[in-house]
Amino acid sequence: MILQAISTNLIPEDISLAIPGNLGFFEFLIVFSFALHILFVNITVGSSVLAVFQEIKGMSKKNKQIDAVAQQLADHTSIMKSIAVVLGIAPLLLISVIYTQYFYSSTNLIGKAWLALLGILIVAFLILYLYKFSWEKMQGGKKGLHVLIGAVGSIMLLFVPLIFIVNVVSMLYPEMWAGSKGFFHSLTYYPQIWQRYIHFILASFAGAGIYLYFWNRRLDRKVDNMSPDEMSSEEKKENKEIQKRAKKVGATTVMITTALQLVAGTALLMSFEKEIMMLYMGEDMLLTTLLMSSILLTLVLLFLVYRLGKTDSKGAFIGSVVVFLVILGVMGWMRHELRESYLGDYLEANPRTTEKVLPVLEEDGEVELLDEEEIDAKEDAEATEEEADADSDAAVEEDAEETTDEEADAEAEKADEEAEETTEA
Amino acid sequence: MNYPVIEFPWLGNGMMIALIATIHVIVSHGIAIGVTALMVSLEYRGLKTKNEQLIGVARRLSKWVLIITTTVGAMTGVGIWFVTSVIQPDSIGSLLRIFFWAWFAEWIVFITEVVLLIIYYYTWDTWKGEKRKIHNRIGMVLGVFGWLTAMIITGILSAKLTPGKWTETLSFWNAFLNPTYVPSLAFRTFIAVLLAVSLISLPLRIMIKDAKLRKEVFKVFSVWNAITIPGILISGIWYLLSIPDEAADLIIWATGMPEDLFTILHIVGLALFLIFAFWMAVKPEKVPVILTFAIFITSMAFIGEFEGIRESVRKPYVIYNYMYANGVAAQDLDKFKEEGYLAHSAASPIKEVTADNQLEAGRELYKGQCITCHTVDGWRTKRAFADRLDGWDEEGLAGYIATLHETRPFMPPFAGTDEEREALAAYLIKVSNEGIDTDLTQASAEADNK
Repeated sequence: MILQAISTNLIPEDISLAIPGNLGFFEFLIVFSFALHILFVNITVGSSVLAVFQEIKGMSKKNKQIDAVAQQLADHTSIMKSIAVVLGIAPLLLISVIYTQYFYSSTNLIGKAWLALLGILIVAFLILYLYKFSWEKMQGGKKGLHVLIGAVGSIMLLFVPLIFIVNVVSMLYPEMWAGSKGFFHSLTYYPQIWQRYIHFILASFAGAGIYLYFWNRRLDRKVDNMSPDEMSSEEKKENKEIQKRAKKVGATTVMITTALQLVAGTALLMSFEKEIMMLYMGEDMLLTTLLMSSILLTLVLLFLVYRLGKTDSKGAFIGSVVVFLVILGVMGWMRHELRESYLGDYLEANPRTTEKVLPVLEEDGEVELLDEEEIDAKEDAEATEEEADADSDAAVEEDAEETTDEEADAEAEKADEEAEETTEA
Repeated sequence: MNYPVIEFPWLGNGMMIALIATIHVIVSHGIAIGVTALMVSLEYRGLKTKNEQLIGVARRLSKWVLIITTTVGAMTGVGIWFVTSVIQPDSIGSLLRIFFWAWFAEWIVFITEVVLLIIYYYTWDTWKGEKRKIHNRIGMVLGVFGWLTAMIITGILSAKLTPGKWTETLSFWNAFLNPTYVPSLAFRTFIAVLLAVSLISLPLRIMIKDAKLRKEVFKVFSVWNAITIPGILISGIWYLLSIPDEAADLIIWATGMPEDLFTILHIVGLALFLIFAFWMAVKPEKVPVILTFAIFITSMAFIGEFEGIRESVRKPYVIYNYMYANGVAAQDLDKFKEEGYLAHSAASPIKEVTADNQLEAGRELYKGQCITCHTVDGWRTKRAFADRLDGWDEEGLAGYIATLHETRPFMPPFAGTDEEREALAAYLIKVSNEGIDTDLTQASAEADNK
């Protein structure tokens, strides 16, 4: 199937400038920076939705403490999102540089949706700031409207991952590009999209849950260490209650969503083409090991979070955070290997530019392509023509300068001649 | 044409980039760098003169800096990447490879900047007494990191106009430390602060009712004016002297104004800024609202104009001497002329012009080589073929395209075979008369039957 697809080639030649570094190292960087980015994205998306849920719960139960948890979540959403955005620069840079032929094609197939992302995110972020900064002002009768503001912002955030997922999934299917009809069509046209989406959303809640737990555990310690002048014992008690509630929300969220991941992950695995799926089920040692360890670690995480909910022990807490981060790393790595498995044949058939090829300006202005060895040879040959004591490098440089100067002069003259034309235009 | 092409038929593809880039420049220069500098200096002055109100102004500003830079600022910054990869994929793809490590360093600087901004905003009450200096110092470091982001990106921007030795060596440092790097960095630095003063003087003039406080604020601003206005003039002239002559010749043309109007507007604009600066220095409590409003508008017009000119004078190139504005690499020109452009266009379903597909082939060529700057029937009539080609015929146009780059030096040469050139001419004449919705398959078949 894949071989036949290569014959209908929509994959362009790679850009002629070399990828500026070691490919393996770049692959490491993309896995690392993407994992970092997605961690903050997960927390942002999860916290934003959880905030709305908690605010509604607080309203219906008329409970101020639940509202305080919701407010804390909304506060953190806006901070996490700022970090998430800038963290995204490196993975975007790397995917553009090492998968140019695929990523730019898949991006442009949904070009308008890709650009719409900017508008959606700006508006969503502004709405979420409004949600956060109007919390105190919009109590009582305005509470319903306030929830609505948060809900609109959250729904926009929930939509955004779909655009990213369509892009990174469609880049894996060059043979399907010709039949693609834009973003909305792609949502059902390509396999894996919704399975990935659910996998991502569940991870977002889990990430937000862990973060919520972490933050309130930290606040707990802070409150404990405050002297009576800084905080009265009554305030302390109230704060502790809020933190206890927040930790419970956090732990429960992690438990439920992580358990569901076992189903969602399986569904995602089943959505891969059979030959790819089999790589994870014994045919490829690395992929199989990664998958097995991620499943095992997920079970460990469930156990640790369960204990954490019961005891709030330091060991269980640190264990949960560490295991969660390791799972995130393993997932990121698997995600990369999955891309490599899909693109493997294409990458071979459409090689990337990994060696620098210098363009050389000839005397007659023609551009000629030489590789580095040829350039050395050419430089040596030219150097021997120069005076014996002349430094060969300098000579070549001078030579090149003269050429370009002459050219520049000629071009300037031409420009002068045609200046009238230009101003007329 | 290596990648699928997206079309904005009314706005124009180039305008999409300009729109996002201009908003980003105003926010990144004016607010992220400029207002940050003003905010931190107000705090500094407030601490020094024990003026709590002045610190209060800085504090209020910090909220707006946080909100605007982390929404519009950050997203339009990423947006320039997004929009160029959609509209100019070959150009941005090349730039990413040339400047990978600069952008990677930028990533780290950006993260630091955002984290510092968050710390700055959330720790106004953390330190008391003498230790409040710490908060101000964090602000100063924030200012430095804001400036560092510009320091890095300016290397990339200026290299597009003056790549210098890079076209021969393809070396990163030759590209980064190109001939206009230092003057344009200096120019942008001064612009950033003056733009900030121009942008926030109006809202502050209206919102701060207390004349005494206003006086204090504007006194701080006028110190900055005394630095930035001469700074802009000097670095601006230095910058002008460093760009290629061909580019300098295109400046007035790039604004689309007649020379007289250009001169008059710029003298008036400069005079306005000088009046503003003197007024602020001499009678800071009495700067008229109308003057702050005029400066607010003028400053944005100037920055928009500057970026517009900078992008335009580079023509016919997008990366000078390396890649044409339509994404065709200069080194590929001969190959395309001999072997055909479409044959090398992965995203084009048509690889060769035949009698049956002339118009569809023409459309692919239009998408590949014209659409970055032109529209069929867009709002910019100067760039819309429906207006430009009024009265032309196919044969005349085909001949004209062959020498286009000579008669109009800002146009890239046509990169393709003679058949492709004729196909392009046929398509352009067809759509400029009948509009973009023309049924090309039908039309091609008719042409075939003739």
